[in-house]
Order: sequence, then C-alpha cells, then structure tokens
Amino acid sequence: MTNQPGPKAWRFLAFGVVVGLRALGLLVGMALPHLPRVMEAVGRLAANERDRVGRFLAIPVPVPSTEDSATTVRRDVRWLALQATGGILAGLLPVGSVTGVAQNVVIAAFWPFIPDAASTLDMPVRSWGDAGLTLVTAAAYGLLGVLVVPPLARWYAKVSAARLAPPVQSLAERLAEVTATRAAALEAHGTELQRIERSLHDGTQNRLVAVVMQLGAVERALSRDPAAALPSVLTAQNAATDALAELRQVVRSIYPPVLAERGLSDAVASLAAQCAIPCTLDEHPLPRAPAAVEAAAYFVVAEALTNAVKHSGADQITVSLRAEDGVLVVEVTDNGHGGADDGQGTGLRGIHHRIAAFDGTTKIDSPLGGPTVVRVVIPAGT
Amino acid sequence: MRIVIAEDDTLLREGLTHLLRAEGLDVTSAVDTPDDLLSAIATDRPDVALVDVRMPPTFRDEGLRAAVEARAKWPGLAVLVLSAHVEESYATQLLADGSGGVGYLLKERVGKVADFLDALNRVAAGGTAMDPEVVAQLLVRRRADDPLRQLTPREREVLGLMAEGHSNSTIGTLLVISDGAVHKHIGNIFTKLGLPTTDAGHRRVLAVLAYLRK
Repeated sequence: MTNQPGPKAWRFLAFGVVVGLRALGLLVGMALPHLPRVMEAVGRLAANERDRVGRFLAIPVPVPSTEDSATTVRRDVRWLALQATGGILAGLLPVGSVTGVAQNVVIAAFWPFIPDAASTLDMPVRSWGDAGLTLVTAAAYGLLGVLVVPPLARWYAKVSAARLAPPVQSLAERLAEVTATRAAALEAHGTELQRIERSLHDGTQNRLVAVVMQLGAVERALSRDPAAALPSVLTAQNAATDALAELRQVVRSIYPPVLAERGLSDAVASLAAQCAIPCTLDEHPLPRAPAAVEAAAYFVVAEALTNAVKHSGADQITVSLRAEDGVLVVEVTDNGHGGADDGQGTGLRGIHHRIAAFDGTTKIDSPLGGPTVVRVVIPAGT
Repeated sequence: MRIVIAEDDTLLREGLTHLLRAEGLDVTSAVDTPDDLLSAIATDRPDVALVDVRMPPTFRDEGLRAAVEARAKWPGLAVLVLSAHVEESYATQLLADGSGGVGYLLKERVGKVADFLDALNRVAAGGTAMDPEVVAQLLVRRRADDPLRQLTPREREVLGLMAEGHSNSTIGTLLVISDGAVHKHIGNIFTKLGLPTTDAGHRRVLAVLAYLRK
C-alpha cells in the first residue's frame, strides 16, 4: 500500500494542520496592508512545504525558477488555499484518530468515576458491557486511522507537490515555442542582413566609388596640369575617410571590436564608463560564451543604458552580468521614475526580439515610481 | 628620429615605412608581432614606437598590451598606438602610468601626413596625441548639470584640442585666433571647470583628460 513507515505518514498529515493554520493566517493577512511582506512569508512557507513534502515523498519538489515570479505567486496562493482547507481537514484525521482512541480507552477504563460518562459516539456508558463497546469504538478509531492515514498522507503529499512544483511544459507547448522563436530568429537575422547590406551599399560603397572617380581625375590631371590634381587628391582623401568612418559604424553594429579584443566583461565596462548617468558594474567572473550570445548580451546592455539615459530620469544605474548554470543573466537596474513598457518603446521591444531569437527570456519590471529592472536570461549554449 | 613599427598587415606596414622614410625619418625596424616589437625596441632603442592594437597570435589587443609592457620596461619610451577603431578605455590604459609620450590615433589619420607627423613629433617629444574621436567619446557622455555645459561652443572646441594634446600656438592656428585669445579661452575653461591652472604640456593634457573621464 505504501513504502512509508506508519508514524511518518501520521506526523506528516498531522503537522499539515499547523501549516494549514499558518496558511489560513496568511490568506487573511493578504487582505491587509504590507502585501509585499505577506507575500514574502507566503514564499517562505511554500518553500518550507516544498522541503517537507519532498522529504516525505523522498522525491525533491522542483523549485520554480525565479524568472516568472508572477506565475509562481499565483501558484503559491492557490496552494495556500488548498492547505488552509484540505490540509487542515486531512490533518484532522490522524489527530482525530489518536484522540478518539485515547479518549475512548480512558472512558472505558474509568467510567465509574466519570459522571454521565459517554463514549465519543455519545453512547452512555453505565456498565462494563457499555465499557466494552467503548473499547470497540476506540479500536474502530484506531483501525480507521491505520487504514486511511498512510494512503491519505501519500495522496495529499502528491497533490501538494503538484501544486508547489512549477508547471510542466508539455513537449508540444515547448515545440510550439521553439518554432515561434526560430521564426523570429530567422526574421531578425533577415532584417539584420538587409540593414548591413543597405549601409554598405548606400554608404561605404558609394564613398569608395567616389574615391576611384577622384583618383581617375587625378590621373588625367597629372598628365595635363599637375597643379590641378591637388583638389581631387584632397576630395578623394576625404571621401575615403568618410567611407572608413561609416565602415567602423557598420562593424560596430555587427560585432563590436572591443568585444573581440577584450571579451564581454571589459566591453560592458567600457559601455558603463561611457554612460551619461553614473553606472556601476556588478561583475562576476564570466566564462567565454559563444560570440553571438556575448554580442546579444552586449547589445542588450547598450540598448538598456540608452533607454535609461533617454527616458528614466535616473541618477544611478547598475549593470550586473553573471553566469548561472548554463545561462547568462544580464540585469540593468536604474533608480528612475519607472513606467517603462516594452509594448511602447522600440528599444525594449528590440531587446525582447533579439533575446527571443536565442530562446532567452526578457523581463521588464518597471512600476510607476521606479526602479526599472531589465532582466534578460540567455541560454549560453554550453 | 628613430622609429620602430609594429603592424601585422604587410601592405600597411610597408606603406607606413615608405611614407616615413620619404619624410626623412629613420625607421630602424618594421615588425609584425608583439614579441618582435619588444626585441626590436631592446636592440634599436628608438625615440618612438608605432604600434597596431590588433596583432597575432590571437588578434585581440596584443599590440596594446605590448605597448603598455614596453613603456613599463623602458620608462620614457614614446609610443604611438594606431588602430582601426578607438576605445576610450584603451586610451585610459595607455595614459594610466601618468608619464608623457603617448599617442592613440585611428590608422586613417596617417593619410593627413602633415597632421600625422605633427602628432608623431609631439609624442616623441614627450607630449600627447589623442584621436579626436576619443575626445568626442569623452565629450558625449555628460550629464545635464555638468559644468561642461557652461562652456561656450568656442571654449568646447579649445577644450577638445587641448585634450587631443595640441599646444596653445597650434590651437590658435587651427581655430584662426590669436595666442592671446587662446590663452583667455583656456583661462575661462579652467575656471568654469574648477581645475587648477597647469602649465602647458603633458600635465595639462592629463588634467583635462582626467577631468573628462571622471
């Protein structure tokens, strides 16, 4: 029936009453002010319960990732409601069974000394025969507990675990997501290629054509009147200089040279140093990630800083970069007035699309009054 | 003037050597790796080393590292770093030791030969030559309450040229104003920015760049 030793199941269910009462208290507390602190307590209680259920089932309950805290909060609250009702009811069974046995045994043994003695089922006890019946009642309480508590504990633990664990994404859902991000990636890549083609074709290439034309003019002038060559030489020189300046811009927009030369940390440090708002870098040692991932992270920081400078009104920005198992986490926090919305700003939407193409997630948390946190998680592909 | 060149692109290395020799300068060695640069400096003891940032073996910032290393090893060695792009942070690194004789320019500045030779001479003489684009990077990131906002457009121009490492007389020539006018602008700039007036030369450039980096 169960691989759990009896007492453990009893303890598990009975302690559920305590947890249920705390859950009830928190549910009531949610109606009061100081909601964030209540929600913190909810998170802690749920985390403790995850531990307890995991220990009981001998299967750890997966902890929801912190990426999607809104969903986690909703699930925690739903679990809270379950625990405050079902948890208490289920927990009353072992408690009731034990007290039922104890009470009836005491009544059966000491009925002559108890005025108006009656079993817990309300049968009056006026003779030793009645006392015998009371003992049978006690046995029935005990039997009920022994038969029902272990399977109930196991069933309830599983229900709790299901509520406490993050939702399992079905393969079909995952596939649909990957297909969508892949399409977005192709789309973004195409747009990027067109942008590069346009700037090389309309900018750099035209300037170089001008250089060649001016040099042609120089060639002709040298044979006729060498003094007339000078203006063309200067024009050619200027056109070539312009071509180089444009080329530098294009190169920087494809893959910033500082990234190739110095790696992500240093490249971002140089972005932070050039920011118009004082910007501190919260650095952690970063392993080298694929070039595309590093470039994406770099452009996210660049875009987020530009946005903060333009719109936030902040006077302090923090950029944090760290590697967590298999993902690169980028966080840009400013102490401005908040209210940033990725549905409106093209910059934030750009970040969203760029990161989705890498199967990463973007979260923009910007309540009115600030602070604004742009948080991006990119699978590092390692 | 004795010059050592370190540039891994053959065409550019030979072009630069040719151009400098045609101007009557003494290019003692032209090498293509950071290691060869260090040994060339050791044997030739040049007045100035011209160094490309990106060099073998990994084509990252080997040249810059070699330049910093060379300056630590031979104090007073003038180094002019050339690159296809400029980063303000690289300039900071080059200037970190606080001594003079430092230049950091875009490669294409070589094309304006007279300006380039002027920069080369300045660096060899212990002065500074910062690319206008480095200075521009320093000037864009300014806050609304920055004292730089109080400068007149002309004073900003003068500040930029000072940061590039130009002398008062060159600034006067470039802006077509008298030496007295340059002097007055500089006085106003230092007052508005709250900087102690420093004598001309490398110390002044360092003070201005340090202020802009702040």
